[in-house]
Amino acid sequence: MAKSFPYGGYIGQLLRVNLSKKGIMKEDLREDWARDFVGGVGLSARILYQEIPPKIDPLGPENKLVMMTGPVNGTMIPAASRSSICAKSPYTKSFFHSIFGGFLGPELKFAGYDGLIIEGRADKPVYIWIDDDTVEIRDASHLWGKDPFTAEDILRREIGDEEIHIATIGLAGEEKAPYAMILCDIRAAGRGGMGAVMGSKNLKAIVVRGTGGVTVPNMLRVYNTAIRINELFATTPAVQGLSGYGTPRNVAAMNEGGILPTRNWQTETFKGMKNITGEAMREQVVKGDRACFACSINCTKYSVVPNGPYKSIINGADYETIYAFGSICQVDDIRVLCKADELCDHYGIDLISTGVSIGWAMECYEKGIFRKKDTDGIDLHFGNADGMLAMIEKIGKREGLGELLARGTRDAAKIVGKDTGRFAIQNKGLEWPGHTCRPFPAAAVGYATGPRGGSHHDIRPTAEKSGLVDRKIIEGKGAVAAEINHWLILGDSMLICHLGEPIWGPLKISDSMINALNAVTGWELDYEGARKIAEREWNMIRCFSAREGFTREDDQLPARFMEEPVPEGPMQGSHIPKETLERLKDEYYTYRGWDLKTGNPTKQKLVELGLDFAVKDVC
Amino acid sequence: MARVKVKSFSVIRDVLGSEVVEIEVNEPQTVRRLFDELVRRYGQAFKDKIWDPNTGQMAPFLIKLNESMISSTLDIDHQINNGDEIAIIFPIGGG
Repeated sequence: MAKSFPYGGYIGQLLRVNLSKKGIMKEDLREDWARDFVGGVGLSARILYQEIPPKIDPLGPENKLVMMTGPVNGTMIPAASRSSICAKSPYTKSFFHSIFGGFLGPELKFAGYDGLIIEGRADKPVYIWIDDDTVEIRDASHLWGKDPFTAEDILRREIGDEEIHIATIGLAGEEKAPYAMILCDIRAAGRGGMGAVMGSKNLKAIVVRGTGGVTVPNMLRVYNTAIRINELFATTPAVQGLSGYGTPRNVAAMNEGGILPTRNWQTETFKGMKNITGEAMREQVVKGDRACFACSINCTKYSVVPNGPYKSIINGADYETIYAFGSICQVDDIRVLCKADELCDHYGIDLISTGVSIGWAMECYEKGIFRKKDTDGIDLHFGNADGMLAMIEKIGKREGLGELLARGTRDAAKIVGKDTGRFAIQNKGLEWPGHTCRPFPAAAVGYATGPRGGSHHDIRPTAEKSGLVDRKIIEGKGAVAAEINHWLILGDSMLICHLGEPIWGPLKISDSMINALNAVTGWELDYEGARKIAEREWNMIRCFSAREGFTREDDQLPARFMEEPVPEGPMQGSHIPKETLERLKDEYYTYRGWDLKTGNPTKQKLVELGLDFAVKDVC
Repeated sequence: MARVKVKSFSVIRDVLGSEVVEIEVNEPQTVRRLFDELVRRYGQAFKDKIWDPNTGQMAPFLIKLNESMISSTLDIDHQINNGDEIAIIFPIGGG
């Protein structure tokens, strides 16, 4: 039983499971770390910086997998359903945070833990069963080799409780495929190979059942805060449409705006998009709506293709599915995209990296670099739906060309050569999501400097995409990007969903975000106090990367975005030339108080933020 | 008076009833006047989709005016002309 914790929203207890030693320990959450890093990603970064040495093999037993909640999880604060899974990534080779929604995070708190630290490596397949105070490491030999859905079914029958919540890996995770993901209820910790880290530990699943609750200092204050945020979700125009159409509401409007990445980003307008819009999806395949814990946005769609070659049942499709397999591969059939989504879940692979890797292979095929003898006889022309689906299977099984594509575009381009890296749409090794930066300088510098590379959750292009700030002006965008970083990282430490962006941000940490944190914890943070926590968290993660050897040189954009202007549409001509990016980086580092030459935080900045312990590593 | 075509998507299209509607805009022929006319014609249901009651302002979004991009916040008094085609690039974000 956890001791009484001084701040509301926290349980005050972490669970540590050592799979090598079969050890299970419950330990107190450090009060100072809760106050300085809040929870979620910030707290995980602090723990991993402390506990794993630099330069370790991410797939070795020295790496640790940290599943963390935030103080607001498990309360009635809307969109506070998220959880983070963090580790040193086998894909990007630095600190990585993959965030997922659903129910597992709140359930972990109800079981009595703010977070779970998994270390070592089991000598045979296991799963972790957390049933309130009772924690067991159980044999998972019978689950190994099973896809996530089959494994979940077996676990539900075996445990005999429909209320359990499960995180599990597929075949890709078991085989430590670089971009293997973790399926978590109706959502996934998709990015950065967290599934490979889990697989490297011979850990098939984490199963949680909790019957406790979360204590807050003033229930009425939390209630009133939740009511107000729900009102904002219901009335703010930019949130609307998510309930009806999910994130695919974006497709048609973004295409009209010339910002729908298409044909492996050769252009940003897809003429065949009519059949893959949110509207088309709603008409053709959506059978219901689903929401994560305590969320009124309700963005997840439940879709069914009842028969035929693309027969499938998915939670989705999300915008990123439509981007990665639709416009990137120029496949204009929503049924095919549902099937692609289902296949990625089946194998347990990140759908963004999968789709963008296939898009890269299609461009290789288009340019004559790949021929049918290289693609296992598969026709990989852009637009060939069946060829695309066949290649997902190949990646899932790591067969033939699939073995190469399962490594991701950075490594695949290095192996193939022939200048194919110029159209590998990744930075820091992570393939890009479907949100462009070519017309948006703040987004560009945010992507380049982000700890994960191709993640639209280290930066958001929304402020420029909406005209909230003038996208045509370069000056000042380093500061804009930094303040967007801050609301994102504080949100990822509280663990609230970024789809509430207009309420939580979108330009800087909002009053709503601070109110939610204060109401739950009983803190009385003002803007400067909240911002300082966020800045500390961002610098903590930067220190992790710097200790791994990352420098200014690693803060790059995909070559295509620097060298190839958008060829058509209303954003025609947009790109971020190399010299513009370097200028933006100078501005960003200066605003952050980082060294212009190395891109590392300075001693002065680290001392100011209370990160003195990192000075010896990075300065 | 300018007669313009307005294109919209998802929840805004649902309110306007069609992907493209034609609107007549009286003097002064500006973006602001166009949205005033849309509110007059489609009422509160349309206003709810673009006006933020929490700020009392029109939401920030991009507008495609023929083949160029303007902004609802920075270019609200931008001139529009007879025959212009306007697309409301909103709501977008997330994913």
